[in-house]
Amino acid sequence: MKSDKKRIGVFVCHCGINIAGTVNIPEVVKRLKEQADVIEVIDHQYCCSDPGQNLIKETIKEKKLDSVVVACCSPTLHEPTFRKTVSSVGINPYNCEIANIREQCSWVTDDKEKATDKATKIIKTIIKKVEHDEPLTPITIPVTRKALVIGAGVAGIQTALDIATAGYPVILLDKNPSIGGHMSQLSETFPTLDCSQCILTPKMVEAKQHPNITLMTYSEIESISGYLGNFKVKVRQKAKYVDWDKCTGCDVCVDKCPKKTPDEFNHGLTQRKAIYKMFPQAVPNRVVIDAPNCLYLEKGACRLCEKHCPFGAIKFDDQDQITELEVGALVMATGYELLDKQMLGSYGFGKLKNVVDGLQFERILSASGPFMGEVKRPSDGKIPEKVVFVQCAGSRDPENAMAYCSKICCMYTAKQAILYKHRVHHGEPIIFYIDVRTGGKGFEEFYKRATDEGVLYIRGKVSKIFEKGDKVIVWGADTLTGKKIEVEADLVVLSTAMKPAATKEFAQLLKLTQDEYGWFTEAHPKLRPVETLAGGFFLAGACQGPKDIPEAVAQSSGAASKVIGLFTSDTLEHLPVIAGVNEDMCSGCGICIDVCPYKARELVTTEDGKKRTVKVIEVLCEGCGACSAACPVGAAQQKNFKDQQIQDMVKGGLE
Amino acid sequence: MLELIESLQEIKKDIELLSGQTLSDCYQCGECTAGCPTAFAMEPVPSQAIRLLQLGKFNEVLNSTGIWLCASCNVCGERCPRGVDYGKIADALRTIVLRNKLTHLTLEKIDKQFISDAPQQAFIAAFRKYTT
Amino acid sequence: MKQIAYYPGCTLYTKSKNLDLCARETAQILGVELKELETWNCCGAIYSTVQDDLANQVAPIRNLIEAQKISNKLVTLCAACYNVLKRSNHNLFLPENDIYRRRMMNFLDTEYDGKTETVHYLEVLKNDIGFENLKTKVKTNLDGLKVASYYGCLMLRPSDELNFDDPDNPTMMDDMFAALGAEPVEFPFKGECCGGYVLVDKPDVATRCSQTILESIVDAGADCVATTCPLCQYNIDNQQKLMSKQFNLPVFYFTQLLGLALNVDQKILNLDNHYIDPKPLLKQKGLLK
Repeated sequence: MKSDKKRIGVFVCHCGINIAGTVNIPEVVKRLKEQADVIEVIDHQYCCSDPGQNLIKETIKEKKLDSVVVACCSPTLHEPTFRKTVSSVGINPYNCEIANIREQCSWVTDDKEKATDKATKIIKTIIKKVEHDEPLTPITIPVTRKALVIGAGVAGIQTALDIATAGYPVILLDKNPSIGGHMSQLSETFPTLDCSQCILTPKMVEAKQHPNITLMTYSEIESISGYLGNFKVKVRQKAKYVDWDKCTGCDVCVDKCPKKTPDEFNHGLTQRKAIYKMFPQAVPNRVVIDAPNCLYLEKGACRLCEKHCPFGAIKFDDQDQITELEVGALVMATGYELLDKQMLGSYGFGKLKNVVDGLQFERILSASGPFMGEVKRPSDGKIPEKVVFVQCAGSRDPENAMAYCSKICCMYTAKQAILYKHRVHHGEPIIFYIDVRTGGKGFEEFYKRATDEGVLYIRGKVSKIFEKGDKVIVWGADTLTGKKIEVEADLVVLSTAMKPAATKEFAQLLKLTQDEYGWFTEAHPKLRPVETLAGGFFLAGACQGPKDIPEAVAQSSGAASKVIGLFTSDTLEHLPVIAGVNEDMCSGCGICIDVCPYKARELVTTEDGKKRTVKVIEVLCEGCGACSAACPVGAAQQKNFKDQQIQDMVKGGLE
Repeated sequence: MLELIESLQEIKKDIELLSGQTLSDCYQCGECTAGCPTAFAMEPVPSQAIRLLQLGKFNEVLNSTGIWLCASCNVCGERCPRGVDYGKIADALRTIVLRNKLTHLTLEKIDKQFISDAPQQAFIAAFRKYTT
Repeated sequence: MKQIAYYPGCTLYTKSKNLDLCARETAQILGVELKELETWNCCGAIYSTVQDDLANQVAPIRNLIEAQKISNKLVTLCAACYNVLKRSNHNLFLPENDIYRRRMMNFLDTEYDGKTETVHYLEVLKNDIGFENLKTKVKTNLDGLKVASYYGCLMLRPSDELNFDDPDNPTMMDDMFAALGAEPVEFPFKGECCGGYVLVDKPDVATRCSQTILESIVDAGADCVATTCPLCQYNIDNQQKLMSKQFNLPVFYFTQLLGLALNVDQKILNLDNHYIDPKPLLKQKGLLK
């Protein structure tokens, strides 16, 4: 026996009758003793029990073992247990391996003969693995305990508040001048009909005032580098042309500004000034100048705002500012948009004035909206006597738009129809629908309320919408009676499909994966819904898929708790069973970079500058082995799963 | 009532094969009926015809007047969210009837004055769609 | 002069001579010769969507092969011919229809690679001649004439096979009329069906379809309608006699109004071949003496 030879001990577990009922354990022990190059083979009724673990510890000491194989259940169950056991007596935990003879052997056959043979082979295989195992130490990485939340709608605000309340600093970023997102545009919320602004505004103010939250509005991500716990993010704060330290949000400048342009917040239903506040309750309560529309910035004449500002806050020489942030985790809360009506040709391409989308109708219903809460139609301000709501406008339509159900439309359409009826008592709301989906608390009751209050539901998808005089004609069908139906409406509301607000370019910038429609992909659709496959990136709200407010808020708290969990320690331990690169062998072909699902590999030039090679960002590597399998020259080798080791394991199994 | 083919499943296979459409793709939204220019006179309307076919009521549809009113204008197929083209299904249904030697239209039925006035194209198309 | 293969089709040779002759004449004026195929046969007038109905595709494919002797393009005027020729070619040369393609070639005992592109005369005007260029050739400006361009089904759908114009909002004919100085009228029924061949079996159903279209056109304030298809023309013009409302609205082939703008001889325009006499309107607008 050579002196550098490993001193391996094998422990075969009966697992009661789970293993021993099928596998002839004394026979396995006998064969291993005869055939395998090991110091000791012992069996035990329950290796994971206290006596079992003690047996392992005592044997290690007595026989001076340096490596251990436990033949028992799946490693997902007790690998951590036995690794802890061996390390308590001085063996490196990564020199303890599990041979799974339960799930992969005794449980899948009744044939005792074959089970015994197979168990022996599995154990021999693992013995070969242990022979090559190196002692490994977990990688320690520092964590910057500060989070960046991108998008400050209700999801982003909730995430930021939860993280901040736990005691960690958060930067809450939004591309708009104010936080609040789409929820600040809504009138009332289903199914309770409480006022959206009234429940959101306190949260917005809380976010503004929270000592741990820094707001960065009117800002966009410029670039990002780093990894889990250690990100560097460059943020571009767009020029506001207003000194926000001096501005008080008094709106004198807004009154004086002569230039008008369509108001985004009201979805083009009204005009705003070139210097503007997004909405009266904006947080921060400040104004910005929209440069392309400003007469002075574009044409060099005007400066009325500057003249009238009582605080000297106008700053025409303002510039975009780049700030570099260091954060440990990022939460995407970029939300949704509605499908552009131009996509819907047979519904009038968005050209018909009295055909609005769901968010426009929210603004029409809103007390702070274009008509101060009175329901009027855009073309002439008349009160619409008959309003048709068209559900699934672009949703559930794989041929022409989005294949998925946008989920919230059934309820918000019911809500809008009810609110319309509340405002226009003699009005006739008609909803065309394919199916009414009411899977939520209080939703079915709310649907009932809509029909009780006089909303007419017609089961059929609308085919065509066009103008006739000052009416809007809707061609639908009632599939329940088989009748084609024509409605002369005064106003039509399209429940246009939800689509992700984050663009493909944005996702690429952050190296996040999206589904075919652009929704961010979660790490696991069921068990890891708020995480992504990229370490340190979490998802909150509708950026991951259509969601209503309570779902978005719940997911946001989930994402926040993940961030808080990450921040509980200022260092992170990362499993050391990761891939490495043999620089001498690596040709720099980059195949492994393409196959790596964790973006843990990058192309670099060697220190001497002579060749291209691949570097592993160890923190990001999850040890899946894709690179080792893909590498054409064998330069990518996974620790404790080296090619040689695997070949020996195969041989061991075939002996 | 016509009993065209004994096994109903055979007819379903024929309809799907001849039309190139999958009947189960239809989720009965009714957009085809909503946009159909002749739906006002059709019995059953397109969405109901597909539903009847889904239910295996093949003879009911094959014997209906609705399938002869389709003008092949293709609005239904163009807008269907599920990629089901009722025009093609109607074409297949008519073909099944016609291939069983059951002509829908005869020359005697057509007004003589109309024959001399109307464009040839109308007759060629009609005879292609309506006769064996 | 540039030659492009031209396929008139059956109806244009008889009852719709004005659609045909005006096109040949205007093309000549605009520097393109529509060279009629040496031999051709009826396209079948309606496309059969029945998957195994190969027999119905023989005629259109033969015409397309014949066109190869002249050009890689085959011009048609009749919307139905356009629909049938273009779809036959498109679908026969889909990869999944390879077996049908081979059977067809065996039957015709020839080789053909599907390279004949069916184009509508409007596309020639737009792409080969150009509407800007056309504008400069106008002799009689159609100023003050409000024209409703009626495209019907066959030019527009199925859009993935024809790819002619936006199926919900076509503009090609409108753009041409704008170039001629006329005022294109927007109406929501540009692509609705006139009733088509249903006319032969159920005239009342077809007539109701065309009446709905005419109502929409009159609502939009048009002086007249322009069509691209003899059957549309018949349904919209002649069937006015059976409608429950009297519209008295003249219906032209688009090539007649094009001919008028280019001062084509009255004999060729053949304004007598209409149910609703269009001459009073044209005189009133000062477009006809």
